[in-house]
Amino acid sequence: MFTLPQKNFRAPTTCLGPTCTQDLDGSHGDDLEGECSRKLDQKLPGVGDPATLSSDTSYLSSRGRMIKWFWDLAEEGYRTYHMDEYDEDKNPSGIINFGTSENKLCFDLLSRRLSQSDMQWLEPSLLQYPDWRGHLFLREEVAKFLTFYCKSPVPLKPENVVVLNGGASLFSALATVLCEAGEAFLIPTPYYGAIIQHVCLYGNVRLAYVYLDSEVTGLDTRPFQLTVEKLEMALREAYSEGVKVKGLILINPQNPLGDVYSPEELQEYLVFAKRHKLHVIVDEVYMLSVFKESVGYRSVLSLERLPDPQRTHVMWATSKDFGMSGLRFATLYTENQDVATAVASLCRYHGLSGLVQYQMAQLLQDHDWINQVYLPENHARLKAAHTYVSEELRALGIPFLSRGAGFFIWVDLRKYLPKGTFEEEMQLWRRFLDNKVLLSFGKAFECKEPGWFRFVFSDQAHRLRLGMQRVRQVLAGKSQVAEDPPSLSDPGAK
Amino acid sequence: MSHRSDALPVPSGQTRSQVLRDQSIYTQLLEVTRHLQQTMREHFVQLMSRQGLLQERRHTQAIREQEALLSRLLCQMINLLQSGATGGLELQVPLPSKDSRDDVRYGQGTQLSGQPDPVPQLSDCEAAFVSRDLSNRGIDIYALYQLSFQDYNAYQKDKYHKDKNTLGFINLGTSENKLCIDLMAERLQESDMNCVEEALLQYPDWRGQPFLREEVARFLTYYCRAPAPLDPENVVVLNGCCSVFSALAMVLCDPGEAFLVPTPFYGGFAFSSRLYAKVELIPVHLESKITAINTYPFQLTVDKLEEALLEARLEGKNVRGLVLTNPQNPLGDIYSSDSLMKYLEFAKRHDLHVIIDEIYMLSVFDESITFHSVLSMKSLPDRSRTHMIWGTSKDFGISGFRFGALYTHNKEVASAVSAFGYLHSISGITQHKLCQLLQNTEWIDKVYLPTNRFRLREAHKYVTAKLKALEIPFHNRSSGLYVWINLKKYLDPCTFEEEQLLYRRFLDHKLLLSCGKAYMCKEPGWFRLIFADELPRLKLAMRRFCDVLEEQKQDLIAKQLEDAIRE
Repeated sequence: MFTLPQKNFRAPTTCLGPTCTQDLDGSHGDDLEGECSRKLDQKLPGVGDPATLSSDTSYLSSRGRMIKWFWDLAEEGYRTYHMDEYDEDKNPSGIINFGTSENKLCFDLLSRRLSQSDMQWLEPSLLQYPDWRGHLFLREEVAKFLTFYCKSPVPLKPENVVVLNGGASLFSALATVLCEAGEAFLIPTPYYGAIIQHVCLYGNVRLAYVYLDSEVTGLDTRPFQLTVEKLEMALREAYSEGVKVKGLILINPQNPLGDVYSPEELQEYLVFAKRHKLHVIVDEVYMLSVFKESVGYRSVLSLERLPDPQRTHVMWATSKDFGMSGLRFATLYTENQDVATAVASLCRYHGLSGLVQYQMAQLLQDHDWINQVYLPENHARLKAAHTYVSEELRALGIPFLSRGAGFFIWVDLRKYLPKGTFEEEMQLWRRFLDNKVLLSFGKAFECKEPGWFRFVFSDQAHRLRLGMQRVRQVLAGKSQVAEDPPSLSDPGAK
Repeated sequence: MSHRSDALPVPSGQTRSQVLRDQSIYTQLLEVTRHLQQTMREHFVQLMSRQGLLQERRHTQAIREQEALLSRLLCQMINLLQSGATGGLELQVPLPSKDSRDDVRYGQGTQLSGQPDPVPQLSDCEAAFVSRDLSNRGIDIYALYQLSFQDYNAYQKDKYHKDKNTLGFINLGTSENKLCIDLMAERLQESDMNCVEEALLQYPDWRGQPFLREEVARFLTYYCRAPAPLDPENVVVLNGCCSVFSALAMVLCDPGEAFLVPTPFYGGFAFSSRLYAKVELIPVHLESKITAINTYPFQLTVDKLEEALLEARLEGKNVRGLVLTNPQNPLGDIYSSDSLMKYLEFAKRHDLHVIIDEIYMLSVFDESITFHSVLSMKSLPDRSRTHMIWGTSKDFGISGFRFGALYTHNKEVASAVSAFGYLHSISGITQHKLCQLLQNTEWIDKVYLPTNRFRLREAHKYVTAKLKALEIPFHNRSSGLYVWINLKKYLDPCTFEEEQLLYRRFLDHKLLLSCGKAYMCKEPGWFRLIFADELPRLKLAMRRFCDVLEEQKQDLIAKQLEDAIRE
């Protein structure tokens, strides 16, 4: 995930409808995972300038112009990054990417597994139109896989599985079938900000934020703690603004906090949702990337009893846990057959190749390899990379959060912002980029406190070292203005 | 069923209050039904919560079946009442077929995977059976799926197999080329196809990997005979042509705006424009009859385009473009370069975009006919508004690959469509395979295309000979995987309801075809029959086809006799 400097542009209100415009306005900063930093520099002629949205010269519809305008911002950054991507041999002074949440630690294991002979199978039905929910053989494997790895008390069923080409597509499809245009999902922030685009692009669905604080107050036991009170308040607020809320999105393990919800908390949130007849989308895309056992992660599918099974929809994908974001595979698990069917009917647009479906089935059924080779090695490497970066941060006296799940550390650089504004956050972000290290800044996650950054650590050691060195350089040039940092506990630090 | 008499239509002298009363009865009925369903659900939930785990599952299954049955019965009842209330005295709702496939429902437009029914008739009561968990548009999408894929799903579960399931469905409804699977399988298993590189497993360029876009540009330059090399920057690669169309509709139109489409027309795009983009397709109805202005059946002329456009504008529609399919689906014909030029000039005159779908461009099997791609034109009337779609599904018989490409000279459009890339992306591994496939022009030219054309020609010859023997008029001279056949003489009266019943009869004989209504054809009685299947299956399918028509004929005779006796 990447970040974009904030610039207060007003998009024409006629475009995607006022609700959407408003949302995009506030949060375009985050972008498609895998996109890169949009270095919104002065040198991008026309881009980001609302004047270019004028219809005089355009061949597009007004929504098309709006979509393109946002995309150009993304595209420009994408090119900026890729034109100057770090390469050990060819471009050692290129940009190091700590911004995109990708696991680059296990390609060797994966390429070996994917090259085995069982992966190359081919039969006619794989080349023809599939069942749009996904081939049955794959849905069976997904059900078995989730039963096992989510520790479901009962066997999960293939008919509750729908397979798509990525989590983004799944968010888009769910938003479209659960909400009318202009309706909203609640989501606690900081959150993986690309979701706003996923739900908005086709679905024109917005997000209602549940803002969380780093400060531990009242009954809270840790920073950015989500409580039912905060959910209730945000829901009331949304209603008072005339926004109809249809559901709640939870990301567990959390992105960017690297934390997990306890089963008790999860249960409370689900009961809250049931009370208000809200759908709950639980995005568990990092569920196997919990690399510290002490974290005690529990999938929502492991709960003995779901308060509202018909309105609980679980997402998982191979992008993160198997480090294959380019493979484009995600899955929905829902007991609600109407939702499954409605999502499946959108799968005409979000389908994936039969051959890839076959390969995924092979991969997911190979529990021996997953348990004995892949997961232990992946966790060990994640842990080592995490240890390296967190020790570097500790040596710099920088507070951070990260308990041992996901690929990232949520870093508190507030002491480097004298005035504590988002402008300064942006300036600092740009200073990092000028020094050839790309990070994601807190505003992109709709964090309400300026000064937080997400560091992705799931990269090869040599790149990590170089990246951290560049980070140190930037901070060293800046640290003289530091005030006393607010004390922050780091539960994962011990 | 005591309400039924109330709901029956009242003679023409009825009063306004009677109409209102009828409507309120209908509404009440709906309410009652909704209530019933709700009660049943709650009851079942209670039942289930008392059971042990294992027992529960078995129990749930039984309950589900029971519930499905009840729902169906109720739905039927209401459908009957509704049709009684709104239609004539005769109840024209086809009843469910009597066979045991429980997911085949009744009275619905039918289309298969590739081509859904563009205008499903979802009755209100049916919508009432969809759970309240979905949004209104979710219900719409759900219903569209049910209507479009039921029969296809029935086929998926009960496919014909020459040894294992000789009584299973044969699918001559879905436009798939099954004639060259042997060649494709061989090609795809060659060593150059399997490649796992780090970049393929990471986030891609959302427009498509540069290596694939370059290959697509080269491929189209060569096979479309472009006068100048095409630019990879003008290519956007997505997971299927429907995705490309959907994204185009999003960026070229605002919700409620429209495209013109000559009909009969491929239904899949109607699905696309309706589901996500909310763009209307306005039919330019073509006719089978040959007249002074219609020199061949279903001829598209600029006059008809002008007329349709004028009419749409008079109705206040904002028409943004024209959608053409060339080679045509379901007509199996191609546009001459002259006609194509005229359509493009018409579009330019009215500032319309032209989306031209050339997905069958390499499936022209009559070698005496030359296909002219829009990309081959030396000077396009309006380059910036001409957008071409192509994919590998038909020409290479790999619909399961999910690949579609857009070529547009308009960089603004290409860039806007790219914004949809991450929702319609293709696996890196698949992109590699596609690139390998497309770049091997030697294999394509020397092995694949000649064999494919030959096999298409043979299958076409076989099917058309059968049709001629049955004296069934058909349309298709040269291209595509289908013939467009006229079964009017088997319909009495010649209505869409009868067309639907005949379709059902084919289905009862385990044969899937697609009917004309799904192509927005204005005349009842047309069917599309896919011939690109292996000969043994094709033979059996044609036997079933003949059986159905024979049965239909007997029924017609019996009916005529009855009528005669009654008189």
